[in-house]
Amino acid sequence: MPGVLIVEDDKELREMLKVSLLRRNFTVLEAENGKAAISHFKPLITDLVVTDLIMPEEDGLKVVIKLRELKPSIKIIAISGGGKVGPGSYLNLAKALGADAIYSKPFSINELIAKIEQLLDNEHLN
Amino acid sequence: MNFTRHKNYTELKSKLEISAGNDYLKYLTKEKDISDQIINHSRSMITIINRDYIYEKVNLTFCNAHQVVLDAILGKSLVDFWGHDTFHNIIKRNIDLCFSGKTVNYEATFITPLSGKRHFEVVFRPLSVEPGKITHLLAETFDIDDLKNTKQAVIAKEEELRKFESNLPIGFLRCNPEGKILHANGAFLKIADCHDELSITRMNLKNFYIEEELFDLQLDQLAESHTKNFGMVNLKSFSGKETPCRISGFLAVNGSGKPAYIDFAVEDCSRELMLENRLLQAQKLETIGSLAGGIAHDFNNILATISGYSEMLHDDLPKNSEMSEKVSKIQMAVKKAQSITNQILTFSRHVEQEKVLINVAEVLKETIGFVKSSIPSNIVMKSRIAKLNTDVLADPTQLFRVFLNLMTNAIQAMEENGGVLTVSLAVVKRKFVQHELNKDIIADEYVLLTFKDTGEGMDPSLIGRIFEPFFTTREVGKGTGLGLSVIHGIITEMEGEIVVSSKKEKGSVFSVYLPVSKSYSISTSKKGSRKKILFITGNKYESRIFSLALESAGYELIFISDGRNFAKVMTNVRERPDMVIYMSDSKQIKPEDLIRIFRSQKILTPCILITDAIQDISDENLLNSGIINQQLTKPVSLKEIRNAIQELLR
Repeated sequence: MPGVLIVEDDKELREMLKVSLLRRNFTVLEAENGKAAISHFKPLITDLVVTDLIMPEEDGLKVVIKLRELKPSIKIIAISGGGKVGPGSYLNLAKALGADAIYSKPFSINELIAKIEQLLDNEHLN
Repeated sequence: MNFTRHKNYTELKSKLEISAGNDYLKYLTKEKDISDQIINHSRSMITIINRDYIYEKVNLTFCNAHQVVLDAILGKSLVDFWGHDTFHNIIKRNIDLCFSGKTVNYEATFITPLSGKRHFEVVFRPLSVEPGKITHLLAETFDIDDLKNTKQAVIAKEEELRKFESNLPIGFLRCNPEGKILHANGAFLKIADCHDELSITRMNLKNFYIEEELFDLQLDQLAESHTKNFGMVNLKSFSGKETPCRISGFLAVNGSGKPAYIDFAVEDCSRELMLENRLLQAQKLETIGSLAGGIAHDFNNILATISGYSEMLHDDLPKNSEMSEKVSKIQMAVKKAQSITNQILTFSRHVEQEKVLINVAEVLKETIGFVKSSIPSNIVMKSRIAKLNTDVLADPTQLFRVFLNLMTNAIQAMEENGGVLTVSLAVVKRKFVQHELNKDIIADEYVLLTFKDTGEGMDPSLIGRIFEPFFTTREVGKGTGLGLSVIHGIITEMEGEIVVSSKKEKGSVFSVYLPVSKSYSISTSKKGSRKKILFITGNKYESRIFSLALESAGYELIFISDGRNFAKVMTNVRERPDMVIYMSDSKQIKPEDLIRIFRSQKILTPCILITDAIQDISDENLLNSGIINQQLTKPVSLKEIRNAIQELLR
């Protein structure tokens, strides 16, 4: 099954995302911040990343740039709940930097899963 | 003839008759020579005129001034000498008056060959050479030109000083050593709320002090140090209005060292204090903003967790079961909470707005139309909208939100007793704005929108706090207290400012300043390639706002208000739009109509649903129909709707 990396500093939210992805039989990898996500990145088993944008250590934008560099074919979804500059502008920045989809928190988990499946399906067809 | 007065002359004559002694005559001749000398060398022009307006005598000064020889003027008529007009218009009237027995005194300007045009004082005195009859008059003409000029210069200087003093924005007072006002300038009269200087001179400065003992103390201090800055003192005007003033005094002493008078400078500081206060408020709001923004961020994480689990739970539970209904309620609560965190983020300006060049007047007119349709009958609405260039860079949907909120607040303030809501729009110059706002002025002109109600007004202590999030004057449970803080955030994000003034029982005025934009709208997509969007709306005013927003963003909008037209447009492939936006409060086309037409025609056009913040479950059919690609909750910003459109049209 495709592997999804969750990068999120909020433990409960990370857990929720993990539970919902496991229900759909994805392989789930976790990182609690950007730095960990980049240093422990496993390109061979990671097909898609769901990353928060505002996190301690390296932020999500760095994750988007760095992981895209390490594995150009990776799919990236950015999620954000608003912070210093605002979810709107941060999310748009993430999109400009190469995120495939963006969601502001709180989002519909079903919508997110549907998006993940759609992105990975397309990958499969290609 | 003699130059002495007629009375003296008669005396002299009688003396002559009595003792016609030779010596005495000689003495008299000498005496006459002396007086002639005196008269001839007088600085005044002296003449004697008879009843036929003929010069009978003139002195040397007169001859010199007019540069004529004595013989040329003696026996000459005044008409010939002065000319017809001058004689008849000025001289004759005064001469005639003098012949009636009065001494006549007047000022006149005339030209003499010696010194040109100058100003003179003329005195005509009746003379008599026959007892009981005025036969002549004595005319004395003094050159008062220099005197006059000096006088005028003094008056001009005085006037200048007076103007200087009265135009100064600082109140000036001169008082006697006890504080009784001797003189006050305009600025002080304004502080005192008094219209004439006279009535103020009956007052003591002490009477304007709220604490009169303080004034006595200050007089003592002045007696000691003569010059003293007293700092801020609260004064009350005639009408009882309180004004904080900065006061300083200067005590002047007379020659013997005793106090002569005291000069006071009284500066009205209310504006300064008000601006200082506003700046403090702004800083406070900024702090609350970053704090609240951080909290909202954490809350959104928590809400995402709650919403995610409840969605999973909802999927696990049998449809329409009691349990699944309970989970739906959790989801609705999440939506509500999300709307609050969104508002906080808007207040703290953590939400970036998408701005287009928009005519404020148009947005305002639509909002007025929207409000008017549901205004209570005891409230009258008036509007004054200037027909000027009122383009600003803004998100029309956010502007609509601002105007709607301010009008709704005004209406609520008058709900009980009725009243008048006056909405006006004007364009004001930078110069005016500079005095009103305490932030950087970024445009030459500002749009000034005012929302004035005659409602219950606010307590002054509350005014400073109304833009704080969760601050509300309403009962608990009525409103979140976020409305005005959101408005504040939106306006600040537009680099504008919102200012409020209010009087208890009189009403409130909210003034919104927005910088006028002179830039030109850049249309991103060319005509022809513009995407067509079909809008199915609930309210024509609100939809007009969306169309203002989307059209400026480069989309072509089609509006449909009834089902038959909708079916027609959707079945015609050539006319078919690229996208459908359906507002859930649309009355003409019901959700089931939408579903039926989409299904029967097998239409795959992407569709966005816009719902109200608190929506009942009835839309579930629509949401589950598979027709809706994305759902947005009001209030929807241009950025959100545009992101959704772009996402779906990709």
